Amino acid sequence: MTSLTFRPRVPVFDANVRVGDLPGQPAPCRERAALLAEMDRCGVERAVIYHALTEEVSPVEGNLLLEPWLGADGRLVPQWSILPTATSLAQVQGLHRQGRVTSVRLHDTRVAGLSFRPWAYDPLLAWLSARRIPIWIPLPGADADELVTTLQGHPDLVTVLVGAHYVHHLMVRPLLTRLPNAHLELSRYEPIGEIEALADEFGAHRLVYGSWYSQYAMGPLLFYLHHTDLSEEELALVCAGNLVRILGPAPSLRSGQALSAAYPEQSRRSEGRATS
Amino acid sequence: MIDGVQVIDFHGHVGRWDRYGMIDEPTRVLHAMDAAGIDRACVSNIFHPDGTTGNDLTARFVAQHPERFIGFAYVSPLMPERMLPELARAVDSLCFAAIKLYPPYTPWPLNEPPWEPIYRFANARGLAVLFHTGSEPQSLPKLVGEIASRYPRANFVLGHSGNTPVERGQAIAAAQANPNVYLETCSAFRSPGVIEQLVNEAGAERILYGSDQPLMDPRSQLGKIITAQLPAAAKRQILGENARRLLRLG
Repeated sequence: MTSLTFRPRVPVFDANVRVGDLPGQPAPCRERAALLAEMDRCGVERAVIYHALTEEVSPVEGNLLLEPWLGADGRLVPQWSILPTATSLAQVQGLHRQGRVTSVRLHDTRVAGLSFRPWAYDPLLAWLSARRIPIWIPLPGADADELVTTLQGHPDLVTVLVGAHYVHHLMVRPLLTRLPNAHLELSRYEPIGEIEALADEFGAHRLVYGSWYSQYAMGPLLFYLHHTDLSEEELALVCAGNLVRILGPAPSLRSGQALSAAYPEQSRRSEGRATS
Repeated sequence: MIDGVQVIDFHGHVGRWDRYGMIDEPTRVLHAMDAAGIDRACVSNIFHPDGTTGNDLTARFVAQHPERFIGFAYVSPLMPERMLPELARAVDSLCFAAIKLYPPYTPWPLNEPPWEPIYRFANARGLAVLFHTGSEPQSLPKLVGEIASRYPRANFVLGHSGNTPVERGQAIAAAQANPNVYLETCSAFRSPGVIEQLVNEAGAERILYGSDQPLMDPRSQLGKIITAQLPAAAKRQILGENARRLLRLG
């Protein structure tokens, strides 16, 4: 039953939150406490965060700016941005040695002339795959042919395709078909009935809630997910369980063990469904 | 129905745009509406400049579930000789309740003379006109602000409320300056605080829930209203009460 107020009825772990300012767009939340307050208002327990500066300017410098947002409570999980340069890779490798890398986000270099081709990205992707580090790949600006060709060379690498919009509608199904370790982040994906359709065709274990806050509000997509045909188990997977599984156990997730513990059964079922 | 409010989606479409997943199958549309408590949706077909072809498709769509869908008439100044006869047919024979215009499909900004016969028709009949508004030069919200005072018996609804921040400011200014200008909420942009801004600056009595369905799912767009930090009374106005008044629904 819909009402004029809404609170999620399952735990929520947001896979896509941007913190900090874009060069031309100050963020509404200026610091960690404000972001946590907004998460509390929307019923979001935890979030994977990356810094805005890493989108269009500098992954290396943006990653440094992420530090003040992190706390000891584990509610904000850092996502480090990366591009295939020696400096960027060394930065993320250093963080990995400290046990602080649970996922990375690909910096879009295509506009600068570096296609997402094996000759440019294989060393980076091989390093991630060998260490079971999942990578978030923004779909806007991506080339579907490059994605399939390059990622098929790394079949064990887990990916989350971020930011699909209705303009990407024709590429979503072929990508999920050709890339069995790919997941679809849902923040911008609104074609009518598509969340239910994709859950039926590929399984709810392939879908991940993300808000893309602060560009978008956190609540509307959560409201949508709670008013679909998804079962309670599937809803719990999409809202948090899949992300817990993708990130895997890691030192920085210790404070999230209660959330992880809420999903082992759903995760096992999801994996079974994936192979059926 | 949501907490006693009949929910009316003021901005929907008939027609297929397959590459974007826009599929106007009534079962798919009604499933999404029913899942979230949306009672009725206003629909139009904007893909045919003659007006007649699209309006007939809209009429057939509405006729399948007349208690759930409300037809809006579409015409284009690209075929000026057809505009007024088609508007009369759509309103008088097809019983459409308002007019939808899509200026980006024409070379003319919406305040230029080719559009004037439509506004005169709406003014004479006391109809609402729903515009696509945005950053396109034909669709700037400030242009609605220029025409609204000349047609005081018509009501003008700015679809998407201008869409992006600069144009949203124009839309709010147009509503503040003209009592017959309303702001509709659907957009691919779901910026934090945008619904609250519209209400605080233009007034809840001037805001209309819309979704752009089936291009976008009406549930995520409804979520913008439900999760906004607004009093329940304001949400009731936005979700249905304002639309009922504007469309003179019983």
